[in-house]
Amino acid sequence: MTDQPNAPAGAQTVWDLPLRLFHWIAVSAVAVSLVTGYLLGDHWLFLHVAAGGVLGGLLAFRLAWGVIGSRYSRFATFPLRPSGVRRQIGHLMRGRSDLHTGHNPVGAWMIVALLAGLGLLVATGLVVWGGQEHQGPLSAVIGYKLGHGVKEVHEVLAALLLTAVGIHVAGVVVETVVFRHPVVKAMVHGRKPVPGSGETARTVGLTHTVVGLGLMALAVGAWLYWFYLPRPAVAPVRTSQAYTRDCGDCHWAFHPSLRTAGTWRTMMAGLADHYGEDASLAPDRRDQVTAYLVAHAAETADTEASHEIGRRETASGRITDTRYWQRRHRQLSDQDFARPDVGSKMACNACHRDADTGRFDDDMIQPPKGVPA
Amino acid sequence: MKTPFLTGLVLAALAFQPAARAASLLDGYADAARAADAGFAGFSAGRGRALFAATPGTGKPDTPSCTTCHTADPRAAGRTRAGKAIAPMALSVSPDRYADPAKVEKWFRRNCNSVLGRACTAREKGDFIRFMATQ
Ligand code: HEC
Ligand code: HEC
Ligand code: HEC
Repeated sequence: MTDQPNAPAGAQTVWDLPLRLFHWIAVSAVAVSLVTGYLLGDHWLFLHVAAGGVLGGLLAFRLAWGVIGSRYSRFATFPLRPSGVRRQIGHLMRGRSDLHTGHNPVGAWMIVALLAGLGLLVATGLVVWGGQEHQGPLSAVIGYKLGHGVKEVHEVLAALLLTAVGIHVAGVVVETVVFRHPVVKAMVHGRKPVPGSGETARTVGLTHTVVGLGLMALAVGAWLYWFYLPRPAVAPVRTSQAYTRDCGDCHWAFHPSLRTAGTWRTMMAGLADHYGEDASLAPDRRDQVTAYLVAHAAETADTEASHEIGRRETASGRITDTRYWQRRHRQLSDQDFARPDVGSKMACNACHRDADTGRFDDDMIQPPKGVPA
Repeated sequence: MKTPFLTGLVLAALAFQPAARAASLLDGYADAARAADAGFAGFSAGRGRALFAATPGTGKPDTPSCTTCHTADPRAAGRTRAGKAIAPMALSVSPDRYADPAKVEKWFRRNCNSVLGRACTAREKGDFIRFMATQ
C-alpha cells in the first residue's frame, strides 16, 4: 500500500484506527475494573465505576461501528456460520490455522461473547451502583434489595468475563507463538498479511478514521455526561442539631438509620444506665429524641448501611457488634481507633465524611493519614 | 425616659455575658443551699476541688471519679469513655461553661449519678462551679 511504506509485501490495513483504539482502551478499562473489583477495597469503587462508565461509552460506539465502520469492523462480515467454526476447530485439532483477513470464526464468536459480556456487566453494574449505593443514573429508581441481588449476577458475569478474557488471550498467544500469525501487531498498526490470492481492495480510508474517532469521542462523552450528571441524593435525613446536642457529647451522634425503631425505644428507656453511664435526659427531651430516632430508624431508609447494619439487631444494641460492621473494619486495630484524631470505633465521622447523612458512601471513606484503608 | 431603657439594655447584655450567667447560676444554687441548710455560709473552692478529685466508690464501676473523664487538671481537655474530647472545665480556659442552666443541670444529674450513685446537692454543685471559676 502506497501510504504505508513499511508494510510487509501483501499486507493490508484491515483494522481501522478507531477500532484499534477501542480495543486498547477497552483492554485498559477492563484491567482497571478487574483489579479494582477483585483486589482493591471499597473506597476504590469510584475508579471501578469510572472504568465501567468508559466501557459503557465505548460499547455504544462499538455497536454503531459494527454497522457503519470499515469492512472488518462490521458485524455483518463476522464469519459466524457454524460450518466455518467446525472447519476451523477441525483444522486446529490437526495443528493447522489459516490466517484470516478479518476475524477467524472462533475469534469472531469470542468478540461477540466479550462484547455481550461487557454490555451485561455495564448494565448490571449500573443497577448495583444505583440500588446498593444509591448513586448514578438509576439511583432513584432501583431499591437496595434489587441492587444487592443483581450484585450476585454482576459477580458471576465478571467471573465469566475473566474466563473469556483468559481464553481470548490464550488464543492470541497460540496464534502468535505457535502459528506465527502477527495478530497482536495487527491490532497495533492495523495491518495484516493478506492470505493467498486474497482481496486487495482497500477497506479502510481516511473517512473511517475521522468519522470513527469523532463518533467514539461523542459516544464516550455523551455516556459519561449521562453517567455523572448530578442527581438529587437519595439519602435519609441529615442528623438534626437538637438530636446532636442531646446525644453527641460523649460520642458522635449516631445516625438514626443505624438502628431499628425497636432498639432505639429500648435504649431510650434505659438511658440512666447507658453502657455503664448515666446518659439520662429531661423527660420532654427524651420523648422528642425518641420520636426523632423512631421516625428516621433503619426501617425508613434504603441505604446499604441501614440494611446491613441498621436492620440487624444485636443483643447489646450496639452498631459495632453487627457482623457486617466487624467484617468491614477487620483491617483496623484497636490502636487505629484509639488514635487521638479518631477516638474510638464510635467516631464513625472521623473516617466517613458523610456519616451525618447516614449514607456511608465508599468514596466518602477518608480515614486520617496512617489508618489502613 | 431613656435611662430605664438603657439600664435594661445593659442588664440584658450582662445577663448574656457567660461569666455573668455563671454567677447568676451560682446565686440560684446558693438560695437552694440556704433553703436546705440554714447554716450555709457560702461556697468553697476547696470543697469543690475535693469533690472533683474524690473517688467515692458509690457510683458506676466504669466512672469512679469526675477525673475519669475530665482528667485531674481542670485546665486540660478531657476525654469521654467513648473517646471524644471534652473541653477543659476551668472557666478561664472555657469561658462558655456554666452559662446554660439546663445544660449544667443535665450534666450534674448524669455525672453525679454515674460517679457518686446519687444526685449532687445544691451546695456541691455551687462548690464545684466556684472551684472551676478559680482555675
Ligand atoms: C454520658 C455519655 C453518653 C451520652 C450522653 C450518650 N451516650 Fe451513647 N454511649 C456512651 C458510652 C460510654 C457508650 C459505650 C462506649 C464503649 O463501650 O466504648 C455508648 C454507646 C452507645 C451506642 C452503641 C455504640 C456501639 O458500640 O455500637 C449507641 C447506639 C448509643 N450510645 C446511643 C446513644 C444515644 C441515642 C444517645 C442520646 C440519647 C446517647 N448514646 C448518649 C455514652 C453516652
Ligand atoms: C478508623 C476509621 C473508621 C471508623 C472510626 C469507622 N469506619 Fe467504617 N470504614 C472504614 C474503612 C477504611 C472502610 C472500608 C473498608 C473496606 O475497604 O472494605 C469502612 C467501611 C464501612 C462501611 C461499608 C461501606 C461500603 O459502602 O462498603 C460502612 C457501612 C461503615 N464503614 C460504617 C461505619 C460506622 C457505622 C462506623 C461507626 C460506628 C464506622 N464505620 C467507623 C473506616 C472507619
Ligand atoms: C463519663 C465521663 C464523665 C464523668 C465521669 C464526669 N463528666 Fe462531667 N461531663 C462529661 C461530658 C461528656 C460533659 C459535656 C461535654 C461538654 O460540655 O463539653 C460534661 C459536662 C459537665 C458539666 C457541664 C459543664 C458546662 O459546660 O456547663 C459539669 C458541671 C460536669 N460535667 C461536672 C462533672 C462532675 C461534678 C463530675 C464528677 C461528679 C463529672 N462531671 C464527671 C463527662 C463526664
